[in-house]
Order: sequence, then structure tokens, then C-alpha cells
Amino acid sequence: MLRFILARLGGTLAVLILVAVMVFALTRLASGDPIALLLGDQATAEDIAQARVQYGLDKPLLTQFGYWVKEVAQGNLGQSIFLQRPVTQALAERAEPTFFLATFAVAIAALIGIPCGLIAAVWRGRLVDQVFSAVAMLGASVPSFWMGLILIQIFAVWLGWFPASGYGDPGVPLIERLHHLVLPATVLGVLNSALIIRFTRASVLDILNEDYVRTARSKGLSERVVILKHVLRNALVPIVTVVGLTLALMIGGAVVTETVFNLPGVGNLVVRAVLRRDYPVIQGTLLVIAGIYVLINLVIDLIYMLVDPRIRV
Amino acid sequence: MSQLFLRKFVSRVLSLTALALPFGPLSATAAPSAANLAMIAEPQTLDPMGTTADLVGTIMQHVYEPLYTFDAKWNVVPMLADGLPKASKDGLTHTITLRKGVKFHNGREMVADDVVASLQRWMEVSPRGKAVAKEVASIEAKGPNTVELKLKTPYAPLLSQLALPTGMAAILAKETIAPQLKDFIGTGPYKFKERRPDQYTLLTRFEGYASRKEPASGYAGKREALIEELRFVPVPNANTRVEGTLSGQFDYADLLPVESIGRLEKAGSAVVPIMTQSFGFPYLVFNTKEGVLASQPLRQAVQIAFGPGEMMAAAFGDTRFFTVEPNHFPQGTALYSTAGGDKYNQRNPAAAKEMAAKAGYNGQPVRILASRQYEFHYNMALVMAEQLKRAGIKAELQIVDWATLVQRRNDPKLWDIYVTHSGQFPEPMLSPPQLSEGAPGWWSSPAKQAALAAFNQEMDPAKRGALWGKVQQVVYDEVPYINVGKFNSLSARAQRLQGYTPSAWPFFWNTSVAGK
Repeated sequence: MLRFILARLGGTLAVLILVAVMVFALTRLASGDPIALLLGDQATAEDIAQARVQYGLDKPLLTQFGYWVKEVAQGNLGQSIFLQRPVTQALAERAEPTFFLATFAVAIAALIGIPCGLIAAVWRGRLVDQVFSAVAMLGASVPSFWMGLILIQIFAVWLGWFPASGYGDPGVPLIERLHHLVLPATVLGVLNSALIIRFTRASVLDILNEDYVRTARSKGLSERVVILKHVLRNALVPIVTVVGLTLALMIGGAVVTETVFNLPGVGNLVVRAVLRRDYPVIQGTLLVIAGIYVLINLVIDLIYMLVDPRIRV
Repeated sequence: MSQLFLRKFVSRVLSLTALALPFGPLSATAAPSAANLAMIAEPQTLDPMGTTADLVGTIMQHVYEPLYTFDAKWNVVPMLADGLPKASKDGLTHTITLRKGVKFHNGREMVADDVVASLQRWMEVSPRGKAVAKEVASIEAKGPNTVELKLKTPYAPLLSQLALPTGMAAILAKETIAPQLKDFIGTGPYKFKERRPDQYTLLTRFEGYASRKEPASGYAGKREALIEELRFVPVPNANTRVEGTLSGQFDYADLLPVESIGRLEKAGSAVVPIMTQSFGFPYLVFNTKEGVLASQPLRQAVQIAFGPGEMMAAAFGDTRFFTVEPNHFPQGTALYSTAGGDKYNQRNPAAAKEMAAKAGYNGQPVRILASRQYEFHYNMALVMAEQLKRAGIKAELQIVDWATLVQRRNDPKLWDIYVTHSGQFPEPMLSPPQLSEGAPGWWSSPAKQAALAAFNQEMDPAKRGALWGKVQQVVYDEVPYINVGKFNSLSARAQRLQGYTPSAWPFFWNTSVAGK
């Protein structure tokens, strides 16, 4: 077990180094200039060149890369060009909304997806299966910005139950901030539940054909016990994977929803940093997201071991 | 194990859902009076001198004040200065007397040393200040409340330059001056409290504010912080700004898409749409240095081919939101002139084709650089390409993001025309930058220099109007850029935000929030 974890951690490090090199190369190869944006329309080429020196952007790329790697090795992700704070601080400020949004959305997705998938599998081919499958297809096809705008229109503009956007006024309590997450989490949850429905259905269908299910039934166990204890438990491995991956995806990938609801999340941070070419923020954030992604994969593997004892051996 | 996992999972979700379910706004209790102001982006910086971006000026004009400012009719009037400067007979020495008893947010009184240090920083740091620095011989304190500014040659735009809120000649507390500002200590009616990027920039009322006594007019006169807390909230998505305004979340929303006017008008009495007339102008910059349009006759041919009327219609749709007119300054202002107007909005493909042929045009593509950051830039670029095609001129659209455009336009090898826009300012030397030397497009000619020298050295406002006409004529003759037309902006406020005066850089002193 320990060897397994150590081996995976080694792999993680290799992935992160690769990510660091690629992210640095890609951001610098892309055209665009943060300093020209920073100084505004009246700045001359001379002004821009002067300011580039101030931010160390005039140095050769390899020197800049070496400097960055040295900083990262010391746990310092650099200083944002636009936000007037270290990248680590900017990230820490985004951690809360992103964490709650992702957890909240995955919870909604799992709460919808697992029971619906289970029901669709158990009553395979019946009306309820067809309805759930159709809804899942629809859910997977609806663009999130559209659903977001519709929910805002209904629940914020007409009914006034939830705020249309943002993450609460300065200094409001956590519960008020969570109140701002209901609509975006619903959008993400509903859309992502489609995948979970389909995965659960497929996985449960596989298990239902297994010999031990027939054995359980022939032992005279009630259908409820058979489904919940024997089938669902064994079907959980792929479901856990997809739930975990959905969670990982939301850490940096809820960009569209975050934009529509103007949430100060990590996805938003990356996109805005890309638009203004805030190199240290792009590099630092992508590195951290990659790290979290790899970590979640590691945790999924560990959960496999808990759910399925065969993997432990 | 799996059941336990599921049970925990479900119970956690339920508890979270229960937390969040109570309907209706929860935070209406005992908050200070505050206004939520939806802005188009996160400010690039909070250094009022560091950039000419409008957004930074809009926010930081509450914190910092200049020596002079503009009244409702765009006249330059004193702000931190006691009165207009006393100029020597030759127009070179300007003696500025400061107001007494003006306090910085740290409690110290403003003196001449602060002003000298601030203006020196402005001339070193600000793109605007650097342009002025070329005209300035010296700035010195002459006693605690007097500053003497000496020019090399008479320079009429001086006071306008000192008054503008963007790239502001802000007066900073001397002890806070550093290459990168850490403390934002000014004299304004609001002081800086906190910035959370992409969430808000928070300003609170400065209790020790020393207001002018004159009645409020434009940015000038009495300023009173009636609202305790101003929250500038970056909301880059235009639809989100509209929805937030309609749902009552924002007290003010800046720059909304013109298509939303219908919804705002139908929203009932809680929302008030605000139209700011002659808010800005789109303009097309020509590369006069390299490439196919370095040829002036060919630039003239392109000008004949172009129909700004069609471009403005494509860009702004609703005729309430734009004006198609050759005068670069609105009717009724001191610099109004129609000089060169016969060359505007010709949209004559046949004449353009003939002119291009005479200019030796042989099918090289005209590279149009535009961005979709502003959808109207893109729409105009599409129309331009079509109009060029009709005149037999090959157009090549290069649509890039804004960060790429502002980089590429500095390289004369990469483009022939780029699309941008500017706010409508009262003084040509403030914008477009092509009227100065060295800006992208690299327009420089004896006629330009002669016309601008005469205009900039004339201190008498009554005579400057005619002299501007001569500059405008040169612009139409040499085609370094085309001022496409004027557009009005659409913003909105909640009915409860009272006392708001529509302005190019929205300000929120003298406004209050009813019921908060």
C-alpha cells in the first residue's frame, strides 16, 4: 500500500514538472502584452518598454523560467502584475467560493444522478428509464450559460429568491455567501448529473447480470437489499470515478457558470488572467489546478481500495 | 463501507442545502449605507497615474483629487487649487495657489511639497504626464501654499491635462509616493479601504473631507459623501450586469449593451436607464509608416470608400445611440468645426477605385486589426472589409483578442488599419494619442506639426476653435485616422440611487441611496 502511494506520488511530481514547462512555454509563446494593457491607450512604445524592465519581462525566456522555477520550489508562485498581491494570496481568496461551489454542485449532481441512474437500470426499458435517459441527454446538451441566464431570469429577476450574481457584499456571513451559490450550483449540478445518470445506469446494468446477484435473489433476499447492498455497492467503483472527476473538473472548469454568475472562483481567475496576460497568475493557478487534479485522482484510487477490496491486494 | 460513504455524503449535501435554502436576501440588516456599483472589469491597477484606463480613473477619482477639474460645461475650474493659475505675460510661468485646510486621509494637511512631488511623479510615471513633461521647464514650491510651474513654450492644453481623471495628475500624500503605490492616501471624499480582485474595491467615507463651497457642477464644486460605503464590483459579463440591475442587486451598472434598452425601459419604476450623450467615438488608425497605407493617396482612397454611417449602424444598431457627423467635437462646444467634412462618409466605391488605381494600388491586402473584446469594433471591421471590397481593395481581417491587439499595433510591420475607440474629451490633446508624436500609426508631417503648434500655443479659448478646424482639416487631408462618429453610452441606476449626474467617468459623491 505504502509503495503504491509512493509510486503514485512520484508520478504526480513528474506530471507537475511537465505542466510547469508547458504552461510557461504556452503563455509566453502566445501573443499579447500585459504591460500594454496595464498602461492604457496613451502609453507609447517607449513607456511600455520601460515598464517591461520593471516587471522583469525584458529578460530572456530561459532566465525568466529559471527564476520562476526557483521561486516555485520555495513555495512562492510569484507576484500578479494586475492584482497587486502574490499569486498564492489571489488563489487563497478564490479557494472558498470554488470549494463550496464544486462540493455543492457535485452533491446535487450525485443526488440526482445516482438514484435516477439506479432507477433507470432497475426498470430498464420501461417508461421511467426512457424518461430519465431522455432527461440525461437533454441535460448533457443544454449550454450552461443559457441555463444560468434562464435560472437568473426566473429566480432572481422575477421571484427575487436568490441574488443574480456575485458572492455577497463585503463582510457578510458564510450563509449569505452560500445563498449566492444556490443558482450556479444548481446549473452545474443538473448539467453534470446527466453523466452520472448514464454511468450509474450502465454500471448497475452490468452488475445486475452477475451470478452473485442471481444467487442473492435465490437466497430469498428482498429486492431492496439485493439492489442497495449487492448491486449498488459493486457498481460504485466507476461511479466514484466519475463523481471524483466531475469534482476535479469544477475546480478550474466551471468557467462559464462562474462568468455568468460573476463568481470570484478559480476558473474566473484563470480566464481573466489569460485575457490580460497576467503570466504569474496563469502559471501559478494552472500548476495548482493540475496538482489538485492529480491529487483527486490519487484519492479516487484510494477510495477504490476501500470500496473494492480486490484492488488492495 | 459504501453505504457509510453514501450516508455521509447525503447528509452533508442535505445540511448544505438546508443552509442555503431560506429564500430572499438575508443581509438587509444593520449594514452601513452602501452602494453596489457594477463596473465592466477589474481595475488594472489602483495607481491613479499608472494607466489611462477609464475604469481606474472612475474609481480613484473618489480617492484622489487633481488641482483642477471640469465643470458641467467642460470648463476647467479649480479643485485643490484655490483659483485658476496666474500666468505671466509670456504665458510661460504659472503660479498656482493651493487651498488651505485640505486634509489627506492620514490627517495631515496638504502643502505645496505634496503637489510638487506628486506632479513630478506624474511626469515620470503617467503616459499623460510624460507628454506634458516635454513642455515643462520646472515645478517648484514657493512657500507652503504656492507652486510655480514654468513651461518651455506656451502650452494651452496644460490645465486640461492637469484636470483629467484618467492618468490623473492626482495629488498624493508625499510620504506614500513610491514606484509602486502601497498606501492610497489622497484628499478625496472617499478613502480606500479594501480590494478583493474580481469581487470588489471598497471605498469608505472620509469624515475629514474639506469640500469646496461652490455649488456642484460636473466634477466641480461641492462634493459630499452621502453614502458611507462605495463598492465597485467588477462584472465583466454585460448580460450579468443587466440581470443584476433588473433584479435590484446593483444600485448602478456601467456600460450596458444597447440591445438591453428595451428590457430596462420595461422594467418598471425601480430601474432608470441612463443615456450619456456623445460618450465616445470609434476611430480607425492608419499605419502611415509601413505597408500599403503608408501611401497617403491610397489612404485617401480608403477614406472615400468608407461609409461611417453604415459602420455606426452596424456597431450600435439603434439610432438613439449614435450620430454620424464629420465634426470631431459635438455641436455647441468650443471646438466644434466642420472643416474637411466633405471628405467624411462618402461611401463612393467608384471614386475610391479610380483614386486607388492612380495611387498605384495593385491588389495588396489591407490588414485590418480588430478585437471582439468590444463587439462594436468587430462589427465595424466587417463593414469596413465589405466597403473596401466594393472599391476593389482587398481586405484581410485579423481578429485577435485585445491583449494581442495592443501589442501588435506597436509593430508597424503587422497591420494597416486598427479599430479602437476613445471617450469624448474636451481637449484634442487628450485623445486620440495619434495627435501627439510616436503613437501607433506614427503620423508625422509638417502640416500636422504646424497646425498643432498654432493650436497648442494659443491660450485664448475663443481663438482655439478656429485653429482646431485647421487641425481637423489636416486630419481629413492626410488620413492618419478616421473619426467614425459619436456614440452614446447606456448605463442604468436603481431608482433608489438618487442625485446621480450622468457623466463620462461616473462619480458617486452627492448621491444617496434611499431606504438604506
